[in-house]
Amino acid sequence: MFDISPDHAIGLYFGLAALPLALLALRLRPSRRTVPGTVLGASVLMAMAGAIHLGLVWTHLGEIITTALFVINGLAYIALSQLFTWRWWRVASASLITMTLLGYLGYIVLGFDTPDQVALATKLIELTALGLVLVPVRGEQRRRRWRWGTLGVAVPFLTVVSLSVIWIDALARPDAQHAHAGALLQATNDVATPEQVAAAQQLYDATAVAIAPYRDWHAAWAAGYRPGGPQNMPSTHWMNQHNVDAGYVMDPRHPQGLVYANTKHGPVLLGAMFQMQHIGQFGPDPGGPLTAWHQHENICFTPFGFEFSFMTPTATCPIGAIDISASPMLHVWIVDNPGGRFAVDIDDKVVRRIDQS
Amino acid sequence: MIKAETSSKPEAAFVLLGMQSLFWFIAAISSAPFVLAGEYAMAGLVVVTLLLSLATLLLGIGVLWRRRRARGFAIALEVVCLFGAALLLLIPIGANHGPVSLMVNVALPIAVIVLLRKDPRESFS
Repeated sequence: MFDISPDHAIGLYFGLAALPLALLALRLRPSRRTVPGTVLGASVLMAMAGAIHLGLVWTHLGEIITTALFVINGLAYIALSQLFTWRWWRVASASLITMTLLGYLGYIVLGFDTPDQVALATKLIELTALGLVLVPVRGEQRRRRWRWGTLGVAVPFLTVVSLSVIWIDALARPDAQHAHAGALLQATNDVATPEQVAAAQQLYDATAVAIAPYRDWHAAWAAGYRPGGPQNMPSTHWMNQHNVDAGYVMDPRHPQGLVYANTKHGPVLLGAMFQMQHIGQFGPDPGGPLTAWHQHENICFTPFGFEFSFMTPTATCPIGAIDISASPMLHVWIVDNPGGRFAVDIDDKVVRRIDQS
Repeated sequence: MIKAETSSKPEAAFVLLGMQSLFWFIAAISSAPFVLAGEYAMAGLVVVTLLLSLATLLLGIGVLWRRRRARGFAIALEVVCLFGAALLLLIPIGANHGPVSLMVNVALPIAVIVLLRKDPRESFS
């Protein structure tokens, strides 16, 4: 969702190239003076949306139905962007934009396409165009009430539904490079070699032995580990700022973090976390796919309570939180984790079982 | 034929402010589950963001009604948003710099400011 798919990038270039052309086309039309600026704005945005759709034709030639839809959609947008003095222009434009938005959501739900930045940008352009098409301006009397009603319902509804579907799809069906919640995985080979299996086992053994003293959280505290974030969550990362600043790289004796389950018996050690110092700098990967690092991207972080939430598809965070990425990390779980000893996350059921034991 | 009688910039600004209000509304609502999961400080952010979303919509309505004060507040809000976006773009904290982020956090505020500039055809009261 936050990447640009290689076969969609061309659409972005077409859309950007269409902007000056659409403005130029408007300047050459004397009839532009007879319509409100909102109509001209919608015309430019529809020309951009049309160009994006036409641009995507070249990279989808193998998909006949998709290509046909892109051509029809692109041409219809561009035609309507120039027909703004037509009597039925508003009805036709609003219908086309609505059908395009709903059609795209159908494509996403059916798994024919994966949402990316080009698709999201196009949907935002279309939604804004829809708002400009519908909004009545001062002095216009025709169907004023109907247009206000449609604007007040259609734009919020389509915006919320479009963004929700895109977001849910991206979280529910992440691509191979993304784990849950959009964490970016380190690129590795597909199947671990015997050497990589042995190296992963060695890393696990060394880490399990090195952090064993921290089963007693007092020892971790004495060593400089401090809980970050709320203690009422199932588990908490305890970070050691000295180890973070020192820049140890996957050193089992100096992990940057420890992960504790917050149980009724007190903190119970779940594992260790190695973390690199810089964003985008993945650490050594001795176990290949078994020990792939991951980087959390597009998370909203607030210093109030040291808490996190997800950034929305429109790159918005709640007020008081900022969009950040966390530098690459690798967990080593010393409890039996169904996802694996080096999985991105600990299974909630494991934490619940420890809490109930 | 659709005829223009006055500038429609306030209406265009209203549409953009409405979109911005929706984006904040979605950001607030989507953070609410984290409060239920135990991130209690997030509750304050959710409430503040919902209020900002409502305030942005009201500013949009004020602009639509050609209220001078609403115009001033809207421009101030967008300047603050641009300043925040510039910080996120410049500080190396891994903030998203994709096209959607640039559209929502940079292009949209600039468009609102441009639309609400003083216009001799427009009478804000």
